[in-house]
Amino acid sequence: MRIHQYEKLWIVGAMILIVGFIVTITYGSVGLGITMIGDEEETIAPDELNDDEQFGEPRVEQVGENEYAAYVVAQTFIFQPDPIEIPANNEITFHVTSRDVIHGFYVPGTNINAMAIPGQVAELTVEFDEPGEHGLICHEYCGSGHHTMEGLIVVQPEDEFDLTELSAETPDTVTSGEQVQLNATVENGQLEPLETTVDAEIGDQTFQQNITVDGNSTQDVTFTAESTQLGVGEHDWTVTVDDYEETGSVEVVSNETAAAEGGEES
Amino acid sequence: MTALFVDEYPAEARLVKAAFLSSFIAFGIGALFGIIQALHRTDIFRFIDSIKYYTVLTGHGVFLVIAFTIFFLVGLYQWAVTDSLERGSVDIRFTWLWYGLMAIGSLLAGISILAGFLDQPPMVLGSELRANVLFTFYAPLEANPLYYIGLALFLVGTWLAGIDWFRTWWAWRDENPGKRIPLRTFMVLTTMIMFFLGSIGVIVSILVFILPWSLEITESLNPLLTRTLFWFFGHMIVYFWLLPAYLLWYSVLPKLSGGRLFSDPLARVVFILFVLLSTPVGIHHQYMDPGIAEGFKFIAMTNTMFLLLPSFLTAFTVVASMEHGARQRGGEGRFNWLRALPWRNPAFTGMALAGLIFAFGGFTGIVNAGMNINYLVHNALWIPGHIHAQVGTATALTLMAGSYWLVPQLTGNRLVGRQVALFQVVLWFVGIVFMTNSMFRAGLVGVPRRTAEPQYQGFDYDVGVGSMGELNAQLALGGTLLFISAMLFLVLMLLTVFNNDSEPIVDGTLPPALSGPEDSPQVLDNLRLWFGIAFALVVLAYALPLAGIAAQSGLFGQDIQPFPVSSEAVIYFQFGLEYVGAFVT
Amino acid sequence: MGSRVSREIGHDEYDPWGTLSLIVVYFVALTLMWLFTYFVEFVGNTPTVMGMIVPVMLG
Repeated sequence: MRIHQYEKLWIVGAMILIVGFIVTITYGSVGLGITMIGDEEETIAPDELNDDEQFGEPRVEQVGENEYAAYVVAQTFIFQPDPIEIPANNEITFHVTSRDVIHGFYVPGTNINAMAIPGQVAELTVEFDEPGEHGLICHEYCGSGHHTMEGLIVVQPEDEFDLTELSAETPDTVTSGEQVQLNATVENGQLEPLETTVDAEIGDQTFQQNITVDGNSTQDVTFTAESTQLGVGEHDWTVTVDDYEETGSVEVVSNETAAAEGGEES
Repeated sequence: MTALFVDEYPAEARLVKAAFLSSFIAFGIGALFGIIQALHRTDIFRFIDSIKYYTVLTGHGVFLVIAFTIFFLVGLYQWAVTDSLERGSVDIRFTWLWYGLMAIGSLLAGISILAGFLDQPPMVLGSELRANVLFTFYAPLEANPLYYIGLALFLVGTWLAGIDWFRTWWAWRDENPGKRIPLRTFMVLTTMIMFFLGSIGVIVSILVFILPWSLEITESLNPLLTRTLFWFFGHMIVYFWLLPAYLLWYSVLPKLSGGRLFSDPLARVVFILFVLLSTPVGIHHQYMDPGIAEGFKFIAMTNTMFLLLPSFLTAFTVVASMEHGARQRGGEGRFNWLRALPWRNPAFTGMALAGLIFAFGGFTGIVNAGMNINYLVHNALWIPGHIHAQVGTATALTLMAGSYWLVPQLTGNRLVGRQVALFQVVLWFVGIVFMTNSMFRAGLVGVPRRTAEPQYQGFDYDVGVGSMGELNAQLALGGTLLFISAMLFLVLMLLTVFNNDSEPIVDGTLPPALSGPEDSPQVLDNLRLWFGIAFALVVLAYALPLAGIAAQSGLFGQDIQPFPVSSEAVIYFQFGLEYVGAFVT
Repeated sequence: MGSRVSREIGHDEYDPWGTLSLIVVYFVALTLMWLFTYFVEFVGNTPTVMGMIVPVMLG
């Protein structure tokens, strides 16, 4: 073949460019540690998501020291959970699947970018250095409401982040003379034990108890007030643990009323 | 001056004109849909529902990248084969058969898309007539079966066109034993080998999985499998759009420049490289997909990077051919010869500007192909920026410029409005610079593609330089200029067709290359060999990923329900509520 | 529309040094744009998907 000398020169130049691009990308993978979404995750049928241990309740959970997993379900036209709350300076592994059609999982302004394909689970690990809020959008056309499909990722300062959940309850009514029991449950989703204080108020009575909730477990606390001291009537109660607060009310009824009601019923 | 094409091959000229007519009709509708989108998504002027935007978007894609480009391709290739072999079709009825299939196919697909504008579409084949699924039709989004049938017929027609050109070549070979394949025919045949091989993916996807599923013959499909089969076809098809432009750059552009093609052998090498490499790279559209191992993505990336080579070679050969023309016209100096080029000729200027955009658009393609850097741009507005630079300008502007040269030879009429034509191609260039500049920059700050309203509640884009308003204005301005340019082109074509009683001033002869086919080894013309190697490369690149996908969740997936994209949003919310309900309980 | 050829130049006497110059410019432009897009636009666009450090299970 007769090839002009300049053209031979350019073929060499073109090969240098091509190899240079490949080398840069390989450096990105090996040197900078940027990985591609792969096929490591098990597949999951969309109609079995509700029964799935992880996607049945889309959530964030701690899986190791400074490591969290976020199970995210994309579906027309929402993301679950929403918002997704995660700590800064920790490794977050998103596991993303779709319940129906192909969706996108994209955080504009970052390199967080994945497809959510029904049947498949995309796995991607990232770490946010700064607290802040980021939009999460679907960037693959998924139907008529596609442009409304957005969620929120809230990155909290590491020391303010927890996976604590508080629930509390009392009976609706208590007969005067009996005890008013306020049952609070503190759940610690993190791996480290949670040492904290539970504060409670029932009417004008206050309670306080220090507790230690082990990692990934729950602890029940019960506060007891004497209904006679509270008096007949409606009483508000509040339970607080760290920044969490539950409120409700309990009604103390007099013996006569209780008896009358009991009488009516029988 | 030799006889005009229309006088020498009137029967073939009729077919080429019919193909161009179909192409230009599709171009007109597609361009109209384009400006609607440019104004809608920037929120500058909205007169349709955002739900209907996706009907417009589907139409824009299908009418432009399927109908406009491929109808033009078959017309151009029919001309190229006939003119370079100096013989007509073996059987012109067969030629009209494939054109007819393509026309019917595009009508069916077109009607099913346009029905999306109706508030109450008619029921056809057991479901509402609509196809708001975009040209990529990712299942489980579901269109009316008519849409898939239309696409399938169109593909079958294109296959038959390829077979027709091979028959013409075989007949010529028997009449001219031992001769090298003329360059333009070589380009046509290699393009079609590439198409035969690459379109297997989408044909299997439609005929085996999606169509039976949309007709409720099969109950489920594997969305990752149909998506992968689409992209098996999907990157080959971008070269199918591009190679007609390459054919014009290699054969017509040197002549327009006043010179000769620099190297015929390298042109052949370039087309062979496209045959070999344009299919085993499709996975680079799926870098962000789960279910495909990183290793396969890496292989697709390296293949794609080597696919740059034919385009890099083209850059040199074509520019050197232009320089040859400029030097023959008296051009001097290192860069001053550029001034000696025939910039007043719209056919030349259009192709040259298209090539310039292609050189930059090629860079954006490198970014798309760059595996991990794809995180930056995947499904961002950058991607349509790339598409509009490449198929929307490198191809479309070259085809328009080529029409200014070719249509007079097909009609025997003089081109109307040469000055306007020059203005038109420059206007397209200006329009695309504004529009793609906006798209690239907006894509880099995270604005997504394929959405009616890229304005969200929860966050604002962090535009480093400039502002969203400025980016939107550029996009809308660019889109408007492109639309005006497209309409000007169509008007000039229409006037030319009716410009009877005129003599075209165009010379249809193409000079031989400076370095002719005799400078290249015979093996370049061994099409069986190249097909064999290409086939092996495709098997190497795709056998394992496809087997892996099928093994993970089955050929037919795990009970994947169809999601008909209705013009009503209501059913989605019903689905959504059902699922949310399931959580609560 | 004549191409107004003022001289004939054959393959061996033709020296496409103008093309070579343009190609060199293109080479440099591609290299610079690539480095900028990769190392500034992409690597700076954090967070980026990184390899997960596989937790070592003890016991």
